[in-house]
Amino acid sequence: MTAYGKTLPGALALALLGAASAYAAPPPGRLLAAQCAQCHGTNGQAVSGMEKLAGESEGEIYKELIEMKAKLKPDEIMHRQAAGYSDEQIRLIARYYASLGKSGSTASTGTSSRNRKSRDD
Amino acid sequence: MFSNNRRKLLQASGALAAVGSLGVASRAQAAAPRVVVVGGGFAGATVAKYVRLWNPQIQVSLIEPNPSHVSCILSNLVMTGAAGMSTITLRYDALRTRYGVNIVADRAVGIDTVSRVVTTANGTRLPYDKLVLAPGIDFDAIPGLDSAVLPHAWQAGPQTLALKAQLDSVPAGGTFVMSIPKAPYRCPPGPYERACLLADSLLRRRRAGKVIVLDANSDVVAEPHTFHTAFQTTYAGVIDYRPSSEVLSVDWAGKKIVTNWETIAFDAANVIPPQRAGKLVAAAGLLGSDPATRWAPVNPLSYESKLVPNVHVIGDSQGTGQPKSGHMANAQAKVCADALVRYFAGEQPDPAPMTSSACYSPITATTASWLTVVFAYDPVSGLMKAVPNTLAEAPAPTKGHYEDMFGWARNLFADSFG
Ligand SMILES: Cc1cc2nc3c(=O)[nH]c(=O)nc-3n(C[C@H](O)[C@H](O)[C@H](O)COP(=O)(O)OP(=O)(O)OC[C@H]3O[C@@H](n4cnc5c(N)ncnc54)[C@H](O)[C@@H]3O)c2cc1C
Repeated sequence: MTAYGKTLPGALALALLGAASAYAAPPPGRLLAAQCAQCHGTNGQAVSGMEKLAGESEGEIYKELIEMKAKLKPDEIMHRQAAGYSDEQIRLIARYYASLGKSGSTASTGTSSRNRKSRDD
Repeated sequence: MFSNNRRKLLQASGALAAVGSLGVASRAQAAAPRVVVVGGGFAGATVAKYVRLWNPQIQVSLIEPNPSHVSCILSNLVMTGAAGMSTITLRYDALRTRYGVNIVADRAVGIDTVSRVVTTANGTRLPYDKLVLAPGIDFDAIPGLDSAVLPHAWQAGPQTLALKAQLDSVPAGGTFVMSIPKAPYRCPPGPYERACLLADSLLRRRRAGKVIVLDANSDVVAEPHTFHTAFQTTYAGVIDYRPSSEVLSVDWAGKKIVTNWETIAFDAANVIPPQRAGKLVAAAGLLGSDPATRWAPVNPLSYESKLVPNVHVIGDSQGTGQPKSGHMANAQAKVCADALVRYFAGEQPDPAPMTSSACYSPITATTASWLTVVFAYDPVSGLMKAVPNTLAEAPAPTKGHYEDMFGWARNLFADSFG
């Protein structure tokens, strides 16, 4: 790969130094979880006609997806989606949605969900 | 964790060195990072929204000439009259007011990838740290074809209404000819869905003559079971499917289409030309020098161009081989947004991104099928690859799927634009 990504322009470097916390790395699971949002709403807040994920517990989401993957019913589109993800990825997705709570507030840079990673599965 | 912190420290000291070499830094230089997005379709709207959602410190400008986006998704229902234009017209208000995206209502006409500036038609200059191009598709010319007269309706809006007028003009027992370009093109099942709805519409109006489908491909490109069944059973005697038939020219005045096999007379027609990345992508040098390259080569970890640094290409214009759908454009936009947020944090992109597509296709006025697939990054090849067992089509079109289609579309629209 190119080296371009490695050196930040001066202005950015300054911005980074000035507001280091605002540019922290994303919490684990956020990008994976965002791939559910096409159907289940931004931050799990579906508009209508689809299941909301915000407010569900980590255990509920995890169990449901793992079961779908195991069943693979031909008439269920969601089973095929679930089949795309490893158990570990499903765990991260479930944990991320659970961390948002029912209001689905934006954990934009939160290090709190990063800490949750140490909790055992 | 430790190594991660250490890496950050090293990066910070690197950053300090960079500042030092600049001498006295002005206030202006300390401004927030700037992302400029060109094109407010599914890809562009989603990346603008998610960068702001995930890091509101980053400034995002979205350049788009149209006051709202008219979605191709569900547009075949506007063709039949089952839905109105308002169903598929998506506004930029939420991007502006909820997420603070700077909407620039203009067309991008020039990109200077060295000094990193985009110029618009009215002369506005927008400097960027990172540029995201999402201009959708452009079409090959076909001799005699003027799409202003004979619509492709493969970009929604006035073209959709022009296609509706074509359909409405078919006389009883008349012939509608439609053509499908060689893959890859936007929305693999889309043309077959359209053929079904044209036939259904003519049948319901008791005007059924023929719908001749000229497919440049050797077989149905997507949902083969669904569409072969529809063509051979549901629409037997109405749809006449002709594979490996490429449109060579169109005679609009004489109402004839010439293919590699034959010359066919039509009463109404819909020629969908072969496709390539939106014009701006080639103009910015992102296709390289080989004229056979139709889609921008990008790194699927960030969608950064393989040819020009700091320019990312997402949606239908990019060339990772993933299907060209709105759902997929949204998926790629999030991978790109995440990579941009990480970049400004001095981090590398997520090494294992996932994307997916899910499409509902109406087959009759009351039933629909679906198509889905999940992609994962393969570190060995550096490509996005379909995960085994995830590529599937609905076993049969049903009323339930038809209802789900609207819930799916509403949510996709809201996640991209709302
Ligand atoms: C009939 C039909 C049915 C479909 N059905 C489905 C479906 O069921 N599900 C699904 O997921 N997908 C579907 N699709 C595919 C989907 O519409 C596309 O894949 C999707 O629109 C691609 O998004 P995009 O952002 O790359 O491009 P677009 O949505 O085309 O957006 C490109 C935008 O860029 C703007 N632009 C272009 N050039 C410039 C410039 N120079 N300056 C500024 N702005 C510019 C344009 O005005 C436009 O708004 C369908 C397509 C068709 C044709």
